Amino acid sequence: MEQMRKRETGIVRSNRETARGHYVIEVELSGVFDVVSPGQFVMFRPGTGETPLLSRPFSVCSQTETGETTKIELLYRVVGTGTARMASLRQGDTVNVLGPLGRGFDMDKGSRLILVAGGVGVAPLIFYAGRRRAQEDGGRVRIIAYVGAADEDSIAGADRLEQYCDEVKIATDDGSRGFRGTVTELFRNDVKHYGKEASVVRACGPRAMLSALAEVLDGHDIACQVSMEERMACGIGACLGCAVRVRLDDGSVGYRRVCKEGPVFDMEDIDWHED
Amino acid sequence: MKTDDAERPNMAVSIGRLMLKNPVITASGTFGYGEEFAPYLDLGRLGGMVLKGISEKPRPGNPPPRIAETPSGLLNAIGLENVGVDAFVTEKAPFLETLDTTVIANIFGESADEYARVAGKLTDVKCVDALEVNISCPNVNRGGMDFGADPEQAAEVTRAVKEATDLPVIVKLTPNVTDITAVARRVEAAGADALSLINTIRGMSVDVYTARPRLANVTGGLSGPAIRPVAVLMVWETVQAVSIPVIGMGGIMNARDALEFLIAGARAVEVGTANFVNPAAVLDIIDGIERHLGDAGVDDINDIIGTLDCRRK
Repeated sequence: MEQMRKRETGIVRSNRETARGHYVIEVELSGVFDVVSPGQFVMFRPGTGETPLLSRPFSVCSQTETGETTKIELLYRVVGTGTARMASLRQGDTVNVLGPLGRGFDMDKGSRLILVAGGVGVAPLIFYAGRRRAQEDGGRVRIIAYVGAADEDSIAGADRLEQYCDEVKIATDDGSRGFRGTVTELFRNDVKHYGKEASVVRACGPRAMLSALAEVLDGHDIACQVSMEERMACGIGACLGCAVRVRLDDGSVGYRRVCKEGPVFDMEDIDWHED
Repeated sequence: MKTDDAERPNMAVSIGRLMLKNPVITASGTFGYGEEFAPYLDLGRLGGMVLKGISEKPRPGNPPPRIAETPSGLLNAIGLENVGVDAFVTEKAPFLETLDTTVIANIFGESADEYARVAGKLTDVKCVDALEVNISCPNVNRGGMDFGADPEQAAEVTRAVKEATDLPVIVKLTPNVTDITAVARRVEAAGADALSLINTIRGMSVDVYTARPRLANVTGGLSGPAIRPVAVLMVWETVQAVSIPVIGMGGIMNARDALEFLIAGARAVEVGTANFVNPAAVLDIIDGIERHLGDAGVDDINDIIGTLDCRRK
Protein backbone atom coordinates (compact mmCIF):
# COMPACT_ATOMS: atom_id res chain seq x y z
CA MET A 1 0.00 0.00 0.00
CA GLU A 2 1.07 3.56 -0.68
CA GLN A 3 2.51 5.51 2.23
CA MET A 4 -0.43 7.00 4.14
CA ARG A 5 -0.37 10.73 4.67
CA LYS A 6 -0.95 12.01 8.17
CA ARG A 7 -1.15 15.09 10.28
CA GLU A 8 2.37 15.56 11.59
CA THR A 9 3.63 16.75 14.93
CA GLY A 10 6.23 19.46 14.42
CA ILE A 11 8.54 21.29 16.78
CA VAL A 12 8.80 25.08 16.86
CA ARG A 13 12.41 26.11 16.20
CA SER A 14 11.83 29.85 16.26
CA ASN A 15 8.93 32.30 16.29
CA ARG A 16 9.81 35.97 15.98
CA GLU A 17 8.11 39.27 15.18
CA THR A 18 9.68 40.65 11.99
CA ALA A 19 7.41 43.65 11.47
CA ARG A 20 4.70 45.16 13.65
CA GLY A 21 2.16 42.40 14.28
CA HIS A 22 3.84 40.13 11.70
CA TYR A 23 5.65 36.95 12.72
CA VAL A 24 7.71 34.23 11.08
CA ILE A 25 7.48 30.79 12.70
CA GLU A 26 9.92 28.04 11.80
CA VAL A 27 8.72 24.46 12.35
CA GLU A 28 10.77 21.29 12.12
CA LEU A 29 9.01 18.23 10.69
CA SER A 30 9.98 14.66 9.91
CA GLY A 31 11.77 13.86 6.66
CA VAL A 32 8.66 12.18 5.20
CA PHE A 33 7.00 15.59 4.86
CA ASP A 34 6.55 16.11 1.11
CA VAL A 35 8.35 18.65 -1.02
CA VAL A 36 6.22 21.81 -1.08
CA SER A 37 5.44 23.70 -4.29
CA PRO A 38 5.38 27.49 -3.88
CA GLY A 39 1.74 28.49 -3.37
CA GLN A 40 0.82 25.31 -1.52
CA PHE A 41 -0.30 25.63 2.09
CA VAL A 42 -0.45 23.74 5.36
CA MET A 43 -3.16 23.45 8.01
CA PHE A 44 -1.54 24.53 11.28
CA ARG A 45 -2.59 24.47 14.92
CA PRO A 46 -0.87 24.47 18.30
CA GLY A 47 -0.35 20.92 19.56
CA THR A 48 -2.30 21.26 22.78
CA GLY A 49 -5.66 22.60 23.93
CA GLU A 50 -9.03 22.91 22.22
CA THR A 51 -8.69 26.63 21.48
CA PRO A 52 -8.53 27.32 18.66
CA LEU A 53 -10.59 24.30 17.68
CA LEU A 54 -9.73 24.23 14.00
CA SER A 55 -6.41 24.45 12.21
CA ARG A 56 -5.63 27.58 10.22
CA PRO A 57 -4.36 27.58 6.63
CA PHE A 58 -1.00 29.24 5.89
CA SER A 59 0.96 29.42 2.65
CA VAL A 60 4.45 28.06 3.06
CA CYS A 61 7.17 30.75 2.96
CA SER A 62 10.20 28.46 2.72
CA GLN A 63 11.24 24.83 3.01
CA THR A 64 14.71 23.59 3.97
CA GLU A 65 15.33 19.86 3.70
CA THR A 66 18.17 18.39 5.70
CA GLY A 67 17.72 14.68 5.01
CA GLU A 68 16.31 13.42 8.31
CA THR A 69 14.07 16.41 8.85
CA THR A 70 12.50 19.24 6.91
CA LYS A 71 11.92 22.79 8.13
CA ILE A 72 9.18 25.09 6.93
CA GLU A 73 8.59 28.76 7.63
CA LEU A 74 5.17 30.41 7.85
CA LEU A 75 4.66 34.16 7.85
CA TYR A 76 1.55 35.38 9.65
CA ARG A 77 -0.11 38.45 11.08
CA VAL A 78 -1.92 38.40 14.41
CA VAL A 79 -5.57 39.10 13.63
CA GLY A 80 -7.63 36.94 16.01
CA THR A 81 -7.63 34.25 18.67
CA GLY A 82 -5.90 31.62 16.53
CA THR A 83 -2.97 33.77 15.44
CA ALA A 84 -2.64 35.34 18.92
CA ARG A 85 -2.22 31.82 20.31
CA MET A 86 0.26 31.10 17.52
CA ALA A 87 2.33 34.15 18.44
CA SER A 88 2.66 32.83 22.00
CA LEU A 89 4.34 29.60 20.85
CA ARG A 90 7.95 29.18 22.01
CA GLN A 91 10.94 27.25 20.79
CA GLY A 92 10.43 23.54 21.55
CA ASP A 93 6.61 23.70 21.61
CA THR A 94 4.80 21.05 19.57
CA VAL A 95 2.38 21.92 16.78
CA ASN A 96 0.16 19.98 14.33
CA VAL A 97 0.85 20.39 10.64
CA LEU A 98 -1.15 18.84 7.79
CA GLY A 99 0.20 19.25 4.30
CA PRO A 100 1.44 20.30 1.89
CA LEU A 101 -2.02 20.91 0.44
CA GLY A 102 -3.66 22.36 -2.64
CA ARG A 103 -2.46 23.55 -6.00
CA GLY A 104 0.63 25.79 -6.09
CA PHE A 105 1.73 28.30 -8.72
CA ASP A 106 2.81 27.04 -12.14
CA MET A 107 6.55 27.73 -12.46
CA ASP A 108 7.01 30.28 -15.24
CA LYS A 109 9.64 30.14 -17.95
CA GLY A 110 9.60 33.78 -19.06
CA SER A 111 12.47 36.25 -18.93
CA ARG A 112 10.54 38.67 -16.73
CA LEU A 113 8.53 37.78 -13.62
CA ILE A 114 6.37 40.22 -11.70
CA LEU A 115 5.26 39.57 -8.13
CA VAL A 116 2.46 41.54 -6.49
CA ALA A 117 2.05 41.07 -2.74
CA GLY A 118 -0.33 42.56 -0.19
CA GLY A 119 0.47 42.14 3.52
CA VAL A 120 1.20 38.52 4.50
CA GLY A 121 0.47 37.57 0.87
CA VAL A 122 4.20 38.05 0.42
CA ALA A 123 4.83 34.61 1.99
CA PRO A 124 4.30 32.29 -1.02
CA LEU A 125 5.92 34.86 -3.33
CA ILE A 126 9.17 34.77 -1.34
CA PHE A 127 9.11 30.99 -1.76
CA TYR A 128 8.29 31.30 -5.46
CA ALA A 129 11.04 33.85 -6.17
CA GLY A 130 13.64 31.69 -4.44
CA ARG A 131 12.57 28.54 -6.30
CA ARG A 132 12.47 30.44 -9.61
CA ARG A 133 16.02 31.75 -9.08
CA ALA A 134 17.23 28.25 -8.24
CA GLN A 135 15.75 26.87 -11.45
CA GLU A 136 17.45 29.38 -13.74
CA ASP A 137 19.28 27.68 -16.53
CA GLY A 138 21.10 29.87 -19.03
CA GLY A 139 18.91 32.94 -19.50
CA ARG A 140 18.54 35.04 -16.38
CA VAL A 141 15.04 35.98 -15.29
CA ARG A 142 14.38 39.56 -14.23
CA ILE A 143 12.16 39.56 -11.11
CA ILE A 144 10.33 42.71 -10.04
CA ALA A 145 8.27 42.68 -6.85
CA TYR A 146 5.54 45.07 -5.73
CA VAL A 147 4.85 44.98 -2.02
CA GLY A 148 1.98 46.73 -0.26
CA ALA A 149 1.56 47.44 3.46
CA ALA A 150 -0.34 49.79 5.76
CA ASP A 151 2.77 51.70 6.81
CA GLU A 152 6.56 51.43 7.06
CA ASP A 153 6.53 49.46 10.33
CA SER A 154 4.24 46.73 9.01
CA ILE A 155 6.14 45.85 5.83
CA ALA A 156 6.80 42.13 6.16
CA GLY A 157 9.13 40.03 4.04
CA ALA A 158 10.41 42.77 1.68
CA ASP A 159 13.97 42.12 2.86
CA ARG A 160 13.56 38.44 2.03
CA LEU A 161 12.33 39.30 -1.46
CA GLU A 162 15.36 41.51 -2.04
CA GLN A 163 17.60 38.42 -1.95
CA TYR A 164 15.96 37.14 -5.13
CA CYS A 165 14.51 40.18 -6.91
CA ASP A 166 16.16 42.73 -9.16
CA GLU A 167 13.83 45.37 -7.86
CA VAL A 168 11.40 45.58 -4.90
CA LYS A 169 8.91 48.45 -5.10
CA ILE A 170 7.02 49.38 -1.96
CA ALA A 171 3.66 51.04 -1.49
CA THR A 172 2.28 52.13 1.87
CA ASP A 173 -1.20 53.46 2.57
CA ASP A 174 0.19 56.46 4.49
CA GLY A 175 3.25 57.05 2.31
CA SER A 176 5.66 56.47 5.21
CA ARG A 177 7.80 54.44 2.82
CA GLY A 178 7.82 54.26 -0.98
CA PHE A 179 4.73 55.05 -3.01
CA ARG A 180 1.78 56.54 -1.14
CA GLY A 181 -1.27 54.46 -2.03
CA THR A 182 -2.11 50.87 -2.77
CA VAL A 183 0.22 48.35 -4.33
CA THR A 184 -2.11 47.97 -7.31
CA GLU A 185 -2.04 51.73 -7.97
CA LEU A 186 1.77 51.55 -7.93
CA PHE A 187 1.66 48.62 -10.34
CA ARG A 188 -0.84 50.42 -12.58
CA ASN A 189 1.78 53.13 -13.25
CA ASP A 190 4.19 50.51 -14.63
CA VAL A 191 1.94 47.98 -16.35
CA LYS A 192 2.11 49.57 -19.81
CA HIS A 193 5.86 48.83 -19.91
CA TYR A 194 5.34 45.14 -19.47
CA GLY A 195 4.71 43.28 -22.72
CA LYS A 196 2.91 39.96 -22.52
CA GLU A 197 5.63 37.89 -24.23
CA ALA A 198 8.16 38.49 -21.53
CA SER A 199 6.01 38.94 -18.44
CA VAL A 200 3.97 36.81 -16.09
CA VAL A 201 2.41 37.93 -12.82
CA ARG A 202 2.12 35.94 -9.58
CA ALA A 203 0.05 37.62 -6.89
CA CYS A 204 -1.17 37.00 -3.36
CA GLY A 205 -3.01 39.27 -0.96
CA PRO A 206 -6.45 40.25 0.31
CA ARG A 207 -9.34 39.72 -2.10
CA ALA A 208 -9.86 43.48 -2.56
CA MET A 209 -6.23 43.82 -3.69
CA LEU A 210 -6.48 40.91 -6.12
CA SER A 211 -9.75 42.25 -7.46
CA ALA A 212 -8.09 45.65 -8.09
CA LEU A 213 -5.18 43.86 -9.77
CA ALA A 214 -7.61 42.10 -12.10
CA GLU A 215 -8.92 45.51 -13.13
CA VAL A 216 -5.40 46.86 -13.72
CA LEU A 217 -4.47 43.86 -15.87
CA ASP A 218 -7.73 43.95 -17.81
CA GLY A 219 -6.92 44.41 -21.51
CA HIS A 220 -3.18 43.86 -21.06
CA ASP A 221 -3.12 40.15 -21.87
CA ILE A 222 -0.45 39.37 -19.27
CA ALA A 223 -0.78 35.87 -17.76
CA CYS A 224 -1.51 36.08 -14.04
CA GLN A 225 -2.03 33.53 -11.29
CA VAL A 226 -3.41 34.53 -7.91
CA SER A 227 -3.42 32.77 -4.55
CA MET A 228 -6.84 33.15 -2.91
CA GLU A 229 -7.69 33.21 0.77
CA GLU A 230 -10.87 31.93 2.43
CA ARG A 231 -11.78 30.51 5.83
CA MET A 232 -11.22 26.75 5.91
CA ALA A 233 -12.15 24.00 8.33
CA CYS A 234 -10.48 20.88 6.88
CA GLY A 235 -8.07 21.90 4.10
CA ILE A 236 -8.60 18.62 2.23
CA GLY A 237 -11.76 19.25 0.24
CA ALA A 238 -14.39 17.80 2.55
CA CYS A 239 -16.05 20.66 4.42
CA LEU A 240 -16.81 22.84 1.37
CA GLY A 241 -16.29 25.85 3.64
CA CYS A 242 -13.68 27.61 1.50
CA ALA A 243 -15.81 28.24 -1.57
CA VAL A 244 -14.72 30.86 -4.10
CA ARG A 245 -16.95 31.93 -6.96
CA VAL A 246 -15.58 31.16 -10.41
CA ARG A 247 -16.66 31.63 -14.02
CA LEU A 248 -17.48 28.32 -15.65
CA ASP A 249 -16.87 27.41 -19.29
CA ASP A 250 -20.53 27.82 -20.18
CA GLY A 251 -20.52 31.42 -18.93
CA SER A 252 -22.36 30.70 -15.68
CA VAL A 253 -20.83 31.00 -12.22
CA GLY A 254 -20.19 28.27 -9.68
CA TYR A 255 -18.06 27.55 -6.64
CA ARG A 256 -14.65 25.94 -6.36
CA ARG A 257 -12.75 24.91 -3.24
CA VAL A 258 -9.80 27.15 -2.38
CA CYS A 259 -8.16 24.19 -0.59
CA LYS A 260 -8.41 21.72 -3.46
CA GLU A 261 -8.81 23.40 -6.86
CA GLY A 262 -6.76 26.31 -5.40
CA PRO A 263 -5.46 28.19 -3.51
CA VAL A 264 -3.77 29.24 -6.77
CA PHE A 265 -6.15 30.05 -9.63
CA ASP A 266 -5.71 31.62 -13.05
CA MET A 267 -6.86 35.20 -12.60
CA GLU A 268 -9.43 35.00 -15.42
CA ASP A 269 -11.18 32.02 -13.79
CA ILE A 270 -12.22 33.95 -10.69
CA ASP A 271 -15.54 35.82 -10.66
CA TRP A 272 -14.42 39.14 -9.20
CA HIS A 273 -17.89 40.66 -8.83
CA GLU A 274 -18.98 41.09 -5.25
CA ASP A 275 -22.35 39.70 -4.20
CA MET B 1 0.49 -3.67 20.57
CA LYS B 2 -2.38 -5.89 19.47
CA THR B 3 -3.21 -8.98 21.45
CA ASP B 4 -4.88 -12.14 20.19
CA ASP B 5 -8.26 -11.56 18.58
CA ALA B 6 -9.79 -13.84 21.15
CA GLU B 7 -8.75 -11.45 23.90
CA ARG B 8 -9.97 -8.33 22.14
CA PRO B 9 -13.42 -7.04 23.10
CA ASN B 10 -16.27 -7.26 20.62
CA MET B 11 -16.76 -3.87 19.00
CA ALA B 12 -19.53 -4.84 16.56
CA VAL B 13 -22.96 -3.30 17.04
CA SER B 14 -26.23 -3.49 15.14
CA ILE B 15 -28.58 -0.69 14.16
CA GLY B 16 -31.64 -2.82 13.49
CA ARG B 17 -30.61 -5.08 10.60
CA LEU B 18 -27.61 -2.88 9.77
CA MET B 19 -24.45 -4.49 11.14
CA LEU B 20 -21.44 -2.26 11.96
CA LYS B 21 -17.94 -3.56 12.72
CA ASN B 22 -17.65 -0.89 15.42
CA PRO B 23 -19.89 1.93 16.68
CA VAL B 24 -17.96 4.83 15.13
CA ILE B 25 -19.42 6.40 11.99
CA THR B 26 -18.26 9.53 10.17
CA ALA B 27 -20.98 12.20 10.04
CA SER B 28 -22.56 13.63 6.92
CA GLY B 29 -20.96 16.75 5.47
CA THR B 30 -17.69 16.20 7.32
CA PHE B 31 -16.26 13.30 5.33
CA GLY B 32 -17.10 14.13 1.72
CA TYR B 33 -17.77 10.93 -0.23
CA GLY B 34 -14.90 9.15 1.54
CA GLU B 35 -12.40 9.61 -1.26
CA GLU B 36 -11.03 12.86 0.21
CA PHE B 37 -9.93 10.92 3.32
CA ALA B 38 -8.51 7.84 1.61
CA PRO B 39 -4.92 9.21 1.70
CA TYR B 40 -5.16 9.63 5.49
CA LEU B 41 -6.73 6.45 6.85
CA ASP B 42 -7.78 2.92 6.00
CA LEU B 43 -11.49 3.49 5.35
CA GLY B 44 -12.12 -0.21 5.99
CA ARG B 45 -11.60 0.39 9.71
CA LEU B 46 -14.64 2.66 10.03
CA GLY B 47 -17.82 1.40 11.63
CA GLY B 48 -19.56 3.27 8.84
CA MET B 49 -19.51 6.38 6.75
CA VAL B 50 -22.40 8.79 6.16
CA LEU B 51 -21.96 10.59 2.85
CA LYS B 52 -22.36 14.29 2.15
CA GLY B 53 -26.07 15.07 1.66
CA ILE B 54 -27.43 14.21 -1.78
CA SER B 55 -30.36 15.97 -3.44
CA GLU B 56 -32.19 15.22 -6.68
CA LYS B 57 -30.58 18.08 -8.63
CA PRO B 58 -27.11 19.57 -8.10
CA ARG B 59 -27.02 22.43 -5.59
CA PRO B 60 -24.36 25.18 -5.77
CA GLY B 61 -24.41 25.97 -2.03
CA ASN B 62 -24.31 29.32 -0.25
CA PRO B 63 -22.01 32.29 -0.98
CA PRO B 64 -18.86 32.63 1.16
CA PRO B 65 -17.93 33.12 3.91
CA ARG B 66 -19.59 29.84 4.79
CA ILE B 67 -17.85 29.04 8.08
CA ALA B 68 -16.66 30.79 11.24
CA GLU B 69 -15.03 29.44 14.37
CA THR B 70 -16.74 30.30 17.67
CA PRO B 71 -15.75 29.25 21.20
CA SER B 72 -15.17 25.45 21.01
CA GLY B 73 -17.41 25.40 17.97
CA LEU B 74 -17.78 25.69 14.24
CA LEU B 75 -20.58 27.73 12.72
CA ASN B 76 -21.40 26.72 9.15
CA ALA B 77 -23.81 27.55 6.38
CA ILE B 78 -22.58 25.45 3.45
CA GLY B 79 -26.07 25.16 1.98
CA LEU B 80 -25.98 21.48 0.99
CA GLU B 81 -23.68 21.98 -1.99
CA ASN B 82 -23.67 18.65 -3.83
CA VAL B 83 -23.44 17.14 -7.30
CA GLY B 84 -26.97 15.68 -7.34
CA VAL B 85 -28.00 12.04 -7.22
CA ASP B 86 -27.28 11.16 -10.88
CA ALA B 87 -23.70 12.50 -10.79
CA PHE B 88 -23.23 10.77 -7.42
CA VAL B 89 -24.11 7.44 -8.99
CA THR B 90 -21.74 7.83 -11.95
CA GLU B 91 -18.86 9.80 -10.35
CA LYS B 92 -18.73 8.95 -6.63
CA ALA B 93 -20.28 5.51 -6.17
CA PRO B 94 -17.62 3.51 -8.10
CA PHE B 95 -14.93 4.40 -5.54
CA LEU B 96 -17.23 3.51 -2.64
CA GLU B 97 -17.88 0.09 -4.17
CA THR B 98 -14.19 -0.78 -3.69
CA LEU B 99 -14.45 -0.34 0.10
CA ASP B 100 -15.20 -2.82 2.86
CA THR B 101 -17.14 -0.24 4.89
CA THR B 102 -20.79 0.32 5.68
CA VAL B 103 -21.93 3.24 3.52
CA ILE B 104 -24.93 5.32 4.54
CA ALA B 105 -26.20 7.84 1.99
CA ASN B 106 -27.61 11.06 3.43
CA ILE B 107 -30.55 12.38 1.42
CA PHE B 108 -32.22 15.75 1.22
CA GLY B 109 -35.28 17.14 -0.60
CA GLU B 110 -37.53 20.16 -0.81
CA SER B 111 -40.66 18.00 -0.76
CA ALA B 112 -41.62 14.54 0.49
CA ASP B 113 -41.79 13.42 -3.15
CA GLU B 114 -38.24 14.58 -3.82
CA TYR B 115 -36.96 12.67 -0.77
CA ALA B 116 -38.75 9.59 -2.09
CA ARG B 117 -37.31 9.94 -5.61
CA VAL B 118 -33.73 10.30 -4.31
CA ALA B 119 -34.28 7.35 -1.95
CA GLY B 120 -35.59 5.27 -4.86
CA LYS B 121 -32.57 6.03 -7.04
CA LEU B 122 -30.08 5.22 -4.28
CA THR B 123 -31.77 1.93 -3.40
CA ASP B 124 -30.39 0.39 -6.58
CA VAL B 125 -26.82 1.61 -5.96
CA LYS B 126 -24.74 -1.34 -4.83
CA CYS B 127 -22.46 0.49 -2.36
CA VAL B 128 -25.32 2.09 -0.40
CA ASP B 129 -26.22 0.03 2.70
CA ALA B 130 -28.67 2.41 4.37
CA LEU B 131 -30.19 5.87 4.08
CA GLU B 132 -29.99 8.75 6.53
CA VAL B 133 -32.82 11.20 5.92
CA ASN B 134 -31.79 14.79 6.58
CA ILE B 135 -34.88 16.62 7.81
CA SER B 136 -32.76 18.89 9.94
CA CYS B 137 -30.44 21.14 7.89
CA PRO B 138 -30.77 24.71 9.22
CA ASN B 139 -29.07 26.35 6.22
CA VAL B 140 -31.46 26.00 3.30
CA ASN B 141 -34.53 28.05 2.48
CA ARG B 142 -36.88 25.21 1.67
CA GLY B 143 -37.03 21.71 3.13
CA GLY B 144 -34.46 20.62 5.67
CA MET B 145 -35.33 21.80 9.14
CA ASP B 146 -38.85 22.84 8.05
CA PHE B 147 -39.69 19.14 7.92
CA GLY B 148 -37.77 18.15 11.02
CA ALA B 149 -39.22 20.82 13.30
CA ASP B 150 -42.80 19.73 12.66
CA PRO B 151 -43.71 16.21 13.88
CA GLU B 152 -46.44 15.77 11.23
CA GLN B 153 -44.20 16.73 8.29
CA ALA B 154 -41.31 14.68 9.71
CA ALA B 155 -43.61 11.67 9.73
CA GLU B 156 -44.79 12.38 6.18
CA VAL B 157 -41.23 12.44 4.83
CA THR B 158 -40.39 9.27 6.75
CA ARG B 159 -43.40 7.44 5.28
CA ALA B 160 -42.56 8.61 1.75
CA VAL B 161 -38.96 7.39 2.03
CA LYS B 162 -39.97 4.06 3.58
CA GLU B 163 -42.36 3.43 0.68
CA ALA B 164 -39.61 4.20 -1.84
CA THR B 165 -36.88 1.95 -0.46
CA ASP B 166 -36.23 -1.37 1.25
CA LEU B 167 -32.94 -0.11 2.72
CA PRO B 168 -32.76 0.63 6.47
CA VAL B 169 -33.95 4.21 7.01
CA ILE B 170 -32.30 6.39 9.66
CA VAL B 171 -33.99 9.75 10.23
CA LYS B 172 -31.69 12.58 11.37
CA LEU B 173 -33.35 14.93 13.82
CA THR B 174 -32.87 18.60 14.55
CA PRO B 175 -32.23 19.90 18.07
CA ASN B 176 -33.97 23.17 17.15
CA VAL B 177 -37.28 22.13 18.71
CA THR B 178 -38.87 22.43 22.13
CA ASP B 179 -39.29 18.67 22.56
CA ILE B 180 -37.21 16.38 20.40
CA THR B 181 -38.99 13.30 21.75
CA ALA B 182 -42.29 14.44 20.20
CA VAL B 183 -40.70 14.38 16.73
CA ALA B 184 -38.83 11.15 17.54
CA ARG B 185 -42.02 9.30 18.48
CA ARG B 186 -43.88 10.37 15.33
CA VAL B 187 -40.97 9.41 13.10
CA GLU B 188 -40.78 6.02 14.80
CA ALA B 189 -44.51 5.50 14.30
CA ALA B 190 -44.08 6.41 10.62
CA GLY B 191 -41.73 3.47 10.17
CA ALA B 192 -38.18 4.75 10.69
CA ASP B 193 -35.69 1.98 11.42
CA ALA B 194 -33.42 4.22 13.50
CA LEU B 195 -32.83 7.83 14.52
CA SER B 196 -29.67 9.91 14.45
CA LEU B 197 -29.21 13.11 16.45
CA ILE B 198 -28.36 15.87 16.81
CA ASN B 199 -27.88 17.96 13.68
CA THR B 200 -26.37 21.42 14.25
CA ILE B 201 -27.89 23.98 16.59
CA ARG B 202 -28.87 27.25 14.90
CA GLY B 203 -26.43 30.04 15.64
CA MET B 204 -25.08 33.39 14.59
CA SER B 205 -21.94 35.44 15.08
CA VAL B 206 -21.27 39.13 14.44
CA ASP B 207 -18.05 40.92 13.45
CA VAL B 208 -18.17 43.91 15.78
CA TYR B 209 -15.68 45.95 13.71
CA THR B 210 -17.74 45.80 10.51
CA ALA B 211 -21.15 45.29 12.15
CA ARG B 212 -21.70 42.46 9.68
CA PRO B 213 -22.64 38.82 10.29
CA ARG B 214 -19.61 36.52 10.07
CA LEU B 215 -21.47 34.25 7.67
CA ALA B 216 -22.82 35.49 4.33
CA ASN B 217 -25.95 33.45 5.05
CA VAL B 218 -26.28 35.49 8.31
CA THR B 219 -27.31 32.41 10.32
CA GLY B 220 -25.69 28.99 10.47
CA GLY B 221 -25.54 25.71 12.31
CA LEU B 222 -23.22 25.19 15.28
CA SER B 223 -21.19 22.01 15.74
CA GLY B 224 -18.18 21.00 17.81
CA PRO B 225 -17.54 20.49 21.54
CA ALA B 226 -19.68 23.52 22.41
CA ILE B 227 -22.86 21.54 21.65
CA ARG B 228 -21.90 18.21 23.22
CA PRO B 229 -23.83 18.51 26.53
CA VAL B 230 -26.97 19.50 24.61
CA ALA B 231 -26.50 16.49 22.34
CA VAL B 232 -25.93 14.03 25.18
CA LEU B 233 -29.12 15.26 26.87
CA MET B 234 -31.23 14.92 23.73
CA VAL B 235 -29.88 11.46 22.97
CA TRP B 236 -30.60 10.34 26.53
CA GLU B 237 -34.16 11.71 26.37
CA THR B 238 -34.81 10.18 22.95
CA VAL B 239 -33.48 6.74 23.90
CA GLN B 240 -36.10 6.61 26.66
CA ALA B 241 -38.89 7.80 24.37
CA VAL B 242 -38.52 5.32 21.49
CA SER B 243 -37.69 1.66 21.03
CA ILE B 244 -35.78 1.93 17.72
CA PRO B 245 -31.97 2.37 17.88
CA VAL B 246 -30.54 5.86 18.30
CA ILE B 247 -27.23 7.06 16.83
CA GLY B 248 -25.75 9.88 18.89
CA MET B 249 -23.63 12.79 17.73
CA GLY B 250 -22.61 16.31 18.63
CA GLY B 251 -19.09 17.52 19.33
CA ILE B 252 -17.37 14.14 19.74
CA MET B 253 -13.62 14.80 19.64
CA ASN B 254 -12.22 11.70 21.37
CA ALA B 255 -13.09 8.26 22.75
CA ARG B 256 -14.25 9.62 26.10
CA ASP B 257 -16.77 11.88 24.35
CA ALA B 258 -18.03 8.95 22.28
CA LEU B 259 -18.43 6.82 25.42
CA GLU B 260 -20.64 9.51 26.98
CA PHE B 261 -23.18 8.96 24.20
CA LEU B 262 -22.90 5.16 24.30
CA ILE B 263 -23.39 5.05 28.07
CA ALA B 264 -26.38 7.40 27.68
CA GLY B 265 -27.92 4.81 25.35
CA ALA B 266 -26.78 5.51 21.79
CA ARG B 267 -26.09 2.26 19.88
CA ALA B 268 -23.49 4.02 17.75
CA VAL B 269 -22.02 7.48 17.34
CA GLU B 270 -21.25 9.81 14.48
CA VAL B 271 -18.10 11.94 14.47
CA GLY B 272 -18.17 15.19 12.52
CA THR B 273 -16.16 18.32 13.28
CA ALA B 274 -13.27 16.24 14.66
CA ASN B 275 -12.58 14.99 11.10
CA PHE B 276 -11.71 18.56 10.14
CA VAL B 277 -9.19 18.92 12.95
CA ASN B 278 -7.47 15.60 12.23
CA PRO B 279 -8.45 13.50 9.19
CA ALA B 280 -7.57 10.32 11.12
CA ALA B 281 -9.48 11.33 14.29
CA VAL B 282 -11.97 8.46 14.00
CA LEU B 283 -9.19 5.87 14.23
CA ASP B 284 -8.02 7.36 17.53
CA ILE B 285 -11.63 7.24 18.74
CA ILE B 286 -12.13 3.58 17.70
CA ASP B 287 -8.83 2.55 19.33
CA GLY B 288 -9.62 4.60 22.43
CA ILE B 289 -13.01 2.95 22.93
CA GLU B 290 -11.45 -0.50 22.55
CA ARG B 291 -8.77 0.42 25.07
CA HIS B 292 -11.41 1.67 27.50
CA LEU B 293 -13.26 -1.66 27.26
CA GLY B 294 -10.02 -3.52 27.92
CA ASP B 295 -9.16 -1.34 30.92
CA ALA B 296 -12.67 -1.75 32.32
CA GLY B 297 -12.60 -5.52 31.79
CA VAL B 298 -15.64 -5.41 29.51
CA ASP B 299 -15.49 -7.86 26.60
CA ASP B 300 -18.40 -6.52 24.53
CA ILE B 301 -19.20 -2.92 23.57
CA ASN B 302 -22.89 -3.78 23.84
CA ASP B 303 -22.41 -4.25 27.60
CA ILE B 304 -21.52 -0.54 27.86
CA ILE B 305 -24.44 0.82 25.85
CA GLY B 306 -27.24 2.30 27.97
CA THR B 307 -25.55 1.60 31.29
CA LEU B 308 -26.09 5.11 32.62
CA ASP B 309 -26.69 4.94 36.36
CA CYS B 310 -28.80 7.87 37.56
CA ARG B 311 -29.45 6.60 41.07
CA ARG B 312 -28.65 9.00 43.86
CA LYS B 313 -25.59 8.00 45.81
